[in-house]
Amino acid sequence: MKNKDKPPELQPFFDKNIAGDVVPSIGISMPRIDAYAKVTGRERYAADYYGFDMIWAGVKRAGIPHARLKSVNTQAAENLPGVIAVLTHKNISGSNRQGVIRKDQPVLVDDKVRHCGDAVALVLAEDKETLAKAIKLTSADFEPLPGVFTTETALEENAPLVHEDHPGGNVLLKASLEIGSVQSAKEHCDVLVEACFETPLVEHAYLETEAGWAQLKEDGKLEIVASTQTPFRDRMEVADALGLEPERIRMIAPYAGGAFGGKDGVTVQSLLGLAALHANGRPVKMWWSREESFIAGTKRHAARMYYRLGAKADGSLHSLDTRLYFDTGPYDHLGGVVITLALEHSGGPYRIPNVSFKGWAVYTNNPIGGAFRGFGVAQVTAAMEQMMDMLAEKLAMDPLKLRLKNAVRKGDKNCVGVTLTHSTGLVECLEAVARHPLWTERAAWKSKAGPFKRRGAGIVALMHASGYGPVVPDVANAKVELTAEGKIKVYCGVVDMGQGNAATNLQIAGSILCQNVDRIELILPDTDRTLPSGSASASRCTYTFGNALIGACETLKLRILQRAADLLMVDDCDETALIPGAVRHLPTGREIPLHRLATFMNESERTATQRFRAPTAKEIPPVGNEIRLHGFPHTLFSYGAHLVRVEVNELTGVVDVKRYLSVSDCGKIINPHVYEQQIQGAIAQGIGYALSEEVQVNEGKVLTADLATFIIPAASDVPEIESQPVEIYEPSGPYGLKGVGEIATNGPLPAIANAVADACGVRIFRSPLTPSRVLRALRERLSEGGVH
Amino acid sequence: MRTFEYLKPASVNKALALLDLYGDQAKLIAGGTDVMVQWKKRIISPQVLISLRNLAELSFIKFGGGLEIGAGTTHRALELSPEIREHFPVIHDAVSNLGSVQVRNSGTIGGNICNAAPSADTAPPLLVLDTNVRIASTKGERTVAIRDFFRGPSRTVLQTGELVTLFSIPAPLPRTGMAYSKHTRRKAMDLPIVGVAVLLSFEEDLKTCRKAAIALGVAAPTPMRAANAEAFLAGKPVDKTTLLEAGKIASEEASPRTTIRGSAWYRKEIIRVLVRRTGLICMERAKGAARS
Ligand SMILES: Cc1cc2nc3c(=O)[nH]c(=O)nc-3n(C[C@H](O)[C@H](O)[C@H](O)COP(=O)(O)OP(=O)(O)OC[C@H]3O[C@@H](n4cnc5c(N)ncnc54)[C@H](O)[C@@H]3O)c2cc1C
Repeated sequence: MKNKDKPPELQPFFDKNIAGDVVPSIGISMPRIDAYAKVTGRERYAADYYGFDMIWAGVKRAGIPHARLKSVNTQAAENLPGVIAVLTHKNISGSNRQGVIRKDQPVLVDDKVRHCGDAVALVLAEDKETLAKAIKLTSADFEPLPGVFTTETALEENAPLVHEDHPGGNVLLKASLEIGSVQSAKEHCDVLVEACFETPLVEHAYLETEAGWAQLKEDGKLEIVASTQTPFRDRMEVADALGLEPERIRMIAPYAGGAFGGKDGVTVQSLLGLAALHANGRPVKMWWSREESFIAGTKRHAARMYYRLGAKADGSLHSLDTRLYFDTGPYDHLGGVVITLALEHSGGPYRIPNVSFKGWAVYTNNPIGGAFRGFGVAQVTAAMEQMMDMLAEKLAMDPLKLRLKNAVRKGDKNCVGVTLTHSTGLVECLEAVARHPLWTERAAWKSKAGPFKRRGAGIVALMHASGYGPVVPDVANAKVELTAEGKIKVYCGVVDMGQGNAATNLQIAGSILCQNVDRIELILPDTDRTLPSGSASASRCTYTFGNALIGACETLKLRILQRAADLLMVDDCDETALIPGAVRHLPTGREIPLHRLATFMNESERTATQRFRAPTAKEIPPVGNEIRLHGFPHTLFSYGAHLVRVEVNELTGVVDVKRYLSVSDCGKIINPHVYEQQIQGAIAQGIGYALSEEVQVNEGKVLTADLATFIIPAASDVPEIESQPVEIYEPSGPYGLKGVGEIATNGPLPAIANAVADACGVRIFRSPLTPSRVLRALRERLSEGGVH
Repeated sequence: MRTFEYLKPASVNKALALLDLYGDQAKLIAGGTDVMVQWKKRIISPQVLISLRNLAELSFIKFGGGLEIGAGTTHRALELSPEIREHFPVIHDAVSNLGSVQVRNSGTIGGNICNAAPSADTAPPLLVLDTNVRIASTKGERTVAIRDFFRGPSRTVLQTGELVTLFSIPAPLPRTGMAYSKHTRRKAMDLPIVGVAVLLSFEEDLKTCRKAAIALGVAAPTPMRAANAEAFLAGKPVDKTTLLEAGKIASEEASPRTTIRGSAWYRKEIIRVLVRRTGLICMERAKGAARS
């Protein structure tokens, strides 16, 4: 194990040519290949397309949360000069249904409106202004229906149904798991802690709102370029919804301008496909406004979570029972998978012999709950890690020692019954926090708080699964090519939505094939050119694709060296080595340039592919098949421990985050620079989740549909973040790596809540911890005459 | 296309003539940081935009004991002015955390005041400074005290054909401290939940309050002066206790609303806290000014 005292130095990088000379190595901080074009504005995102003869497409949104659709009035809009078409569900010949597991979301509403953001009509116009007018002129006749806007009311006996045809009523999915017996275990617990936590609906707020463009080509092929995390899955969804053969559709995924789960699934794709089918071969662009993105895009599920945790007097956890209610809005999207992952993580990274977990993903007429970095784990971690602190307080035990005592280690069964056979570095993470001055010297720091200020420190332990679980194959297919010009092409199957995995692919290929950056070209995901490799999600991108890519590069390398050995007429390709642009025979120093070598190889010889499937848990815990299908359980986890120091203003309730320490076990690191960005970004996002971000909704209507009312942190709200990796080698990972994309975002909310409780003795069960909530809690404590 | 004509007169007089010509069909635009947002949201749809951008006549900071600020002066210019920083720090406080640097480079003090948002950051400072607003039209000029300038959210005393040319601020009394505090939900790029400006002038003992001015933003339909709190402080020794009391009184005078940004009870709490906190800064500043 190697601990670094200081975060890696990030080198400023301005000149593309400097990096071009570099032959990548594994483990060094390389400037990202995409950085230069992005910061200079040259990168072309899906939203940046302005083609010749381009048409704008836009959507008439329902604006009403629950209603039967009687008719859509398109005439007035159609009569407007400059309007090309106004399309409704009648123009769709496919299933008109989208969804990853349960296909329940219409492209354009046919029978019923189920939330305000539902698409009622699709308008095509010559320019944006005409489009806006035409959308205004399009109207619909609705028969309003009573809606359901909380999970409680949705689960009532005679609640209005969001989907009349769903056998579970308003329960999209109920997941449950019992191990041991919490009932009888409770009697053997010396202490019990109970609480209910509520976490808010949250918007991803990516820079690039949902966008793309599409064109029907002369050969009949429908080309869709979209800001998406899932091009291959999108193709199947669009094909099914619009009634086309998947081969007719080509999905192209440029770098996304942020996604965080919000583009894990179809956003503009089917609408664009439909528009292109009615555009006489002209390119059609769609780009949701910020407000539209707030209203129609998916969100992090709002959750209500009941916890009861029991332990022995010595602090060993003995029983946990949880009930999780997740508001999934009107459509499955990925709600079933989210509740399943939440369930799996609801007991945290601890050994607990008796558990009873129940989770409901509940249909409502609120905005759509879906994938969001953290994927259900952010919510349950917020609950469980606060429970741990509450338990520690009741036991009068140090919260860090309590965690260490119960932390899972390699070889243990975690609390959902899975034996941890992969690297398990939680203890190392917690020990690093325990040693850190921010922890050991906290008492002195706390005592120096100024007037009306209270200081506190909070810690959390984290785990986050990677990959799809046991049933849906977590597979990637990598392809690399030695081009006829002697360069290397890497066909990336997994989208880079900003997290930097494309740059990592380049680093891997460059390192194995010993080619400098300028000699490598990345082909971004494209269903016609790259191979299906699954979604950019689930902390899996570099783990799964990286493993495949290493295999493909090694195959190509061997082929190149063997071919070179043949041409150089030497017996053993062991004597040859790849160098930038050439192969060298080491004993004689003779070289063959790669572009010459390439002329002796045909295309199939110059191309290598490799498939990789991520390992799955071999245990079969006591859950139904349905839950396994939704991804339960996992075998591979990343771990972490966070520490935060906060200062609470007693007069205003403002929580000021002063310092942050993140220690993570995400395996070995390929590029410290990119790793650091993932940790820092996730923590910044988590701080927003903890303190200010909340999509406020009234009767299904979003009240905070812009960035002036939905408050994400500014740079000055994010404190100095120290990030330490505990680099434990994970044998199944590429170069020993595990996923780092999500884990850190789960930490800030419970860490800050614990720190606030440490600072002023109040616990706020409903997040975000806005100043007014904190102030109210402080006042209530005072009026109860509580401790100071 | 939804369009407008964009006219860029070369002088204030030409701008006034255009205002007369187009009347209610026209809208003045200075930095455009409010106007363009409202245009995009379709809150306004003027046929003509008359631009005051870069009119040298409107962009100046004249210091000579008192202060004159041209309506077209950008927040950034105010922020970077050493005179304002030293002698009118209450303005510096307000403009240095208004929006972002980009917004401050574009947005003007005239636009901020004429837009008449209850949250306008420069309104409370101008209120405690007893600013006079100079208004021009083709018919001539008039001057209105800033406390009479606001008529409601987005409403002012300006008539069709009028524009604001400058803000005239009398020299403060000796031994004066002034400050502005803004309570926000994040540390940058946010409108105030509450904004409080305080100006305190002291007797020679540097304790007794000779004059107090307290102004509140987002506390009522318009930026307002807290007259009762001011009256309470006048003639009294200023310390933590009296400032706390003044905060309470100001909070009672205020009638904030509950909005998506914050609830009324919380705003009232913050007014109490900020009056006291800002008053303490004024004391420090008055002492500092007396020393130098
Ligand atoms: C991202 C962002 C952040 C912001 N943050 C803040 C903030 O923190 N605090 C804050 O107070 N404001 C903020 N604002 C609002 C805005 O920037 C300010 O109100 C700014 O001062 C407006 O000035 P302007 O020159 O851009 O006005 P404009 O938009 O040009 O005009 C505003 C109004 O004033 C009128 N007007 C302009 N000049 C004159 C004149 N000389 N005579 C008569 N009428 C005139 C216009 O007709 C219009 O009605 C923000 C705006 C944005 C876009």
